[in-house]
Order: sequence, then structure tokens, then C-alpha cells
Amino acid sequence: MTHPSESISAYLDGELHGSELSQLVDHLGSCGRCSAEMEDLQRVRAAVRSLPVLELPRGVVPDADPVVVPLRRHKGMWAGVAAAVVIAMIAIAALVTPDPQTSLYELNSRFGARASLDPAFGPAKIVVPPLVSE
Amino acid sequence: MRRLIAFVVFLTVLPATAALATDLDELLSQGKDASYSAEQVISCSTPDGERDALIRIEQDGDELRVSSSLGDDVQITAGAGGWTLTRDDGLVAQANVDRGETEATPLYTVEERGTVEYLGRAAMAYLLIRDGEPRAELVIDDETGAVVEAVTLTIEDEVYCERRFLSLDTDAPGIEESSDASGNIPATLVDTSSLPQSVAGFELLDQYEDEDGVRFAYYSDGFFSFALFETPSAVALPEATPVELSSGLYLRVFTAGQVTYVWETRQSGMALVGDLPPDLHEAVLSEMPHPEDPGLFRRWWRALFG
Repeated sequence: MTHPSESISAYLDGELHGSELSQLVDHLGSCGRCSAEMEDLQRVRAAVRSLPVLELPRGVVPDADPVVVPLRRHKGMWAGVAAAVVIAMIAIAALVTPDPQTSLYELNSRFGARASLDPAFGPAKIVVPPLVSE
Repeated sequence: MRRLIAFVVFLTVLPATAALATDLDELLSQGKDASYSAEQVISCSTPDGERDALIRIEQDGDELRVSSSLGDDVQITAGAGGWTLTRDDGLVAQANVDRGETEATPLYTVEERGTVEYLGRAAMAYLLIRDGEPRAELVIDDETGAVVEAVTLTIEDEVYCERRFLSLDTDAPGIEESSDASGNIPATLVDTSSLPQSVAGFELLDQYEDEDGVRFAYYSDGFFSFALFETPSAVALPEATPVELSSGLYLRVFTAGQVTYVWETRQSGMALVGDLPPDLHEAVLSEMPHPEDPGLFRRWWRALFG
């Protein structure tokens, strides 16, 4: 067995079980380097735990709640902003795009076609519409 | 004694009136198969000012070709339900329709006013009377049956439009049938409208719908006629005059012999195109869908999707 530093940390965290645990215990019994490493780790952990807990005055750190502002929420917000921008662009496009319009000549042609079936159709009714630029 | 006199007068006048009366359709159909060329001046006194036109008419059987005499190369070929408008040999608009089975109820009585001479030719003058009011004077050429002069009158007995032949040539003009059907808009007869069957003496004869989504209804009183259009989009009407009528605000354009009104409802664009005299406009429009603001959303929708 090589020197299993990671397994020592896991052992101290109580995360080793079964054959892994028995192998590490056997190794620690025969490997002075690893048993020394384990003793160093135990001391560091004990020192950290013995440090006093300080409470920061309010306002030094913003009340940032990772549950309230998760990454997903940011994504949703940007999606909303993007949708709003798209809608605004469509609305502006609709406003600046001219309303599609039916040509008067198309209507005249339909009226004229139907009127040509009437007995009265002829010199007494027919008219040439003035052609203006469309 | 008075009753006896009245009865004698009735018996005397009735046959005389019947003898003078002529069927309007029969009268106007006289020139349907004629062949001639003519130059016609149209002069109309409209509420928006004078509208004049000088046109050349060529008829060969049931085909009629009308062109502007003002050098702008505008030409219409019409007849038998077809209508083609070209300018500078380019197609501007074209339509083709069939007619339904509804016939206009005769609304006019026709009075013969005697023989006249027009352009050195024998002709007969007639007066068309609607609801007891003279509405048109016609002069019809004996040989061709063509209406060489037509004067339409307002209800105040004032001249609305005059159409007069300035020349008449009875040689067959030989009209070639238009082969360009690229812009043809076939309209299908439908029966789905909620429009009134009769309005101000005009009878709803036919209703159509075409592939462009344009629906229109054709009304006639036997002489004057108009079409009411319902279109998916607003109708472009350049150089129009805003007109406030009892039913709302419209845009209006008079041309020589024709009037067009345009407005919008919540659902669609509307237009009325016809040759009816001005005194009948308000009565007709008041019975049709009134102008409404379609609203911002519908404007957006039309702008985006037509």
C-alpha cells in the first residue's frame, strides 16, 4: 500500500468502513510516516475547533442568502429580461412597419367586374380611375 | 260625380302611361352587342369639387375597352364579369366574377321624351324616375343602342354627372381579348353575410369572397350600383377627404363618375365603391357597419400578420 493521505482524512472524518478501514488501520500500525501525518492532522483540527466564534457586526457583510438568490434565479431573471426585449422589439417593429393596405385598384377591378354583368354596364357607368402612385 | 270623373281620368291615363313605360333593362341592353368607337367626356359636380375625365370607348360585342385620352396610357378591358386595368402595358389590377341568380327588382320607371338628334344621328331621349323623382336622363343612339348621353341627377334635381359622346364611329374596333391573366382574382359566390338585403332602395344581389380574404357584396337599384368591401387590412386611399357623417368618420374620394368611401371597424377594413349620387351616400352608409377604432392590438396584429 502506498501512503494514503486522502484515506487518513476520510478516516478522521469517520467516512471509512469495512475493508478500507481495516487496511488503513493495518497500514498506520506499520507506517510511521502515515501515523505521523495522521497525528499532525488531528492537531490541526483540534486547533481549529478551539478557535473562538466571532459574530460580525450587521452591515459588514450583506444579507446575502444563497437560497434566496440561487444561480437558477439569475437565469430566470435574464430570460425574463430577454423576453421583454424581444417583445419590445416586436412592438416597435409593428409600430414602425406600415399597416398592410389593400389597393383601391384591386377593389375597383372587383366592382367593375361585377358591374360589367349588369344591363346598365356601358358608357353610362364605366369610369377610368385615376392612377396615382401607390 | 267626382268619383266618376276620377275613374274616367284613371282609365284615360293608365293606358297612356303604360304605352310610354319601357323596361329599363331592355332599354340599356340595346347596345350590348353593338360595335363602335367613341370619345366621351365625363363631368361631375361632387361635394369635393369638379371631377372630369376624357376617355375613349371601344365596344365590340360584349367586350368594352376604355382608355384615358389624357396620354397616361391607362386602359380597361371589361365585360362578361371580367375587368383588367393596365397602365403602360403593365397589369395593375384584374378580377373575374360570376353572377348569382338574384335579379334587381325594377325600381325605375322609364319615360320616353321623344326623338332627338345627337352627333347628327337619330336618337331617343328617356327619363329615369325613381320613387317619383327624376334621377337620370339618357339619350340612346338608334342604330347602335349606345347611351350617347347620360345625365344623372341628385334628389334636388341638380346635375351630378354628365357623360357625353363627342364622337361616334360605328366601325368595329376589333378588340383583342386580354391574354394576361396573371393578376386575375377569381371571386367565389358566397352566402354568409350579415349585411342588409336592401338599403335605401339598393338590393343585395351577390356576395363574393376571394383567395386574398377580400369579401364584397354587390348592391344595385337597377341603374346605380355599389360594392361594399370587407378586407383583412385597411384600404389605401391616397388624397382622400375626411368626411363626418351621422354614422361616423370616413375617408372619401370622388373620381369622374365614381365615389369611394373607406373606413375601419374592429374586425376589418371597409370600403364602398360605386356610382350612386351623393344624396344616397349617407342613407346607404348608415345601414352598413359603422366606423370603429380597431384598437392598438389589432393594428399590431395587422401590421405583423396582415
